[in-house]
Amino acid sequence: MATSNLTMWVSSKPSLSDTSSLSFRSFISPFQLPSQSSAPCNPSRSSSVTPIQCGLRELRDRIDSVKNTQKITEAMKLVAAAKVRRAQEAVVNGRPFSESLVEVLYNINEQLQTEDIDAPLTNVRPVKKVALVVVTGDRGLCGGFNNSIIKKAEQRIAELKQLGLEYTVISVGKKGNSYFNRRPFIPVDRFLEGSNLPTAKEAQAIADDVFSLFVSEEVDKVELLYTKFVSLVKSDPVIHTLLPLSPKGEICDINGVCVDAAEDEFFRLTTKEGKLTVERDVVRTETADFSPILQFEQDPVQILDALLPLYLNSQILRALQESLASELAARMSAMSSATDNAVELKKTLSIVYNRQRQAKITGEILEIVAGANALV
Amino acid sequence: MTLNLCVLTPNRIVWDSEVKEIILSTNSGQIGVLPNHAPIATAVDIGILRIRLNGQWLTMALMGGFARIGNNEITILVNDAEKGSDIDPQEAQQALEIAEANLRKAEGKRQTIEANLALRRARTRVEAISAIS
Repeated sequence: MATSNLTMWVSSKPSLSDTSSLSFRSFISPFQLPSQSSAPCNPSRSSSVTPIQCGLRELRDRIDSVKNTQKITEAMKLVAAAKVRRAQEAVVNGRPFSESLVEVLYNINEQLQTEDIDAPLTNVRPVKKVALVVVTGDRGLCGGFNNSIIKKAEQRIAELKQLGLEYTVISVGKKGNSYFNRRPFIPVDRFLEGSNLPTAKEAQAIADDVFSLFVSEEVDKVELLYTKFVSLVKSDPVIHTLLPLSPKGEICDINGVCVDAAEDEFFRLTTKEGKLTVERDVVRTETADFSPILQFEQDPVQILDALLPLYLNSQILRALQESLASELAARMSAMSSATDNAVELKKTLSIVYNRQRQAKITGEILEIVAGANALV
Repeated sequence: MTLNLCVLTPNRIVWDSEVKEIILSTNSGQIGVLPNHAPIATAVDIGILRIRLNGQWLTMALMGGFARIGNNEITILVNDAEKGSDIDPQEAQQALEIAEANLRKAEGKRQTIEANLALRRARTRVEAISAIS
């Protein structure tokens, strides 16, 4: 957004560089010079002269403010970079949990294959109403990040409308909240706010909401819309079906393509040749076999009942973390291009400024020389 | 023979060290686990976990999850876990009162489900504190 701000700023005063170069030329031509220097007494001429006189000061002010903008964007970029690293740490901290969870889920599933399981979270009902969990950021100034996820949500809503299905939105993040607040015709079930670093508490709040919506049969399907973190310069808004959970521990997208939960992807921020880069690894979690004598304290169904909410939570937490990482990465690249633009703008403005200053000095010298000549 | 306990939440590792004995609240009641326990898998209810370390009992509030015991290794996966000593008694008591009030106000199936869950969590936190004293 800062980038567009800067360009807008330039375009709002499009004539500046033109007039200055024009006036610069007019200054140089010796024939016009006398008439110009006598301009203040001529009202029709003064209009063409004053912008140049103010131009110098104005230019100086603009150069200063561009300098400040550049400082700010530079700082925001660095802050975002530092936060990406923190977000990544959070993902790494959560790994032991998700790994053991997937391992356990896998094994229990294998042992339950033969039995007829009926857990409430895996109930597939004919879909009448769909809940959409839309994960946005809390702040702006991050390029098209918030826009693209909201656009994705709008698109999905239009699709659902076309299918004649009801829908409700659960909005997570300030930007999404204000967007849906401005559109009262979109039914929103709940507004939730994210925080600097997503924790299990936030994921739990979303999970609780989604869980009660689904179990009370108010909705028959829950979809999670978030931004998948691909790399520092690329992130994709995606839709995942959250509920009904497939008992095999898979996440499916809307097309029914399932991702194996054991294939755990995570991102790693590294520095390569002094530049920040991101590696995305696919880690295949080892699903070692349980000892065959393992006993189930309760009914397998009950155990699955306890496991699936955990799995739901960790899925949501993961989506929040990815979304945050994408937001920060988007901010980083937006701010870095804003900084580049500011640098360039500053350069062109300085050139114009110096030229004008030089032209003014030349003009003054010519005046003095002309005056001295007249005296002789 | 030593018994190793590992309590994991999505955010962090809450506990990962040796213990003498634990008492775990499962969906089918409390079970005590001593070294060389038979390998079992169990669902963990919202409730208290008691840990014995050299004759000293510690409590922890667990917010529901799953436990796997085998080979003298206990792995507990929970949504959230708090050590009893880390909970602020006043805050927990207040949260409990709010949760009780919310349950009374709850209308409809969905709100009741939510309020009930919140109440159980709040109650467990209060219990985790009072269990120490």
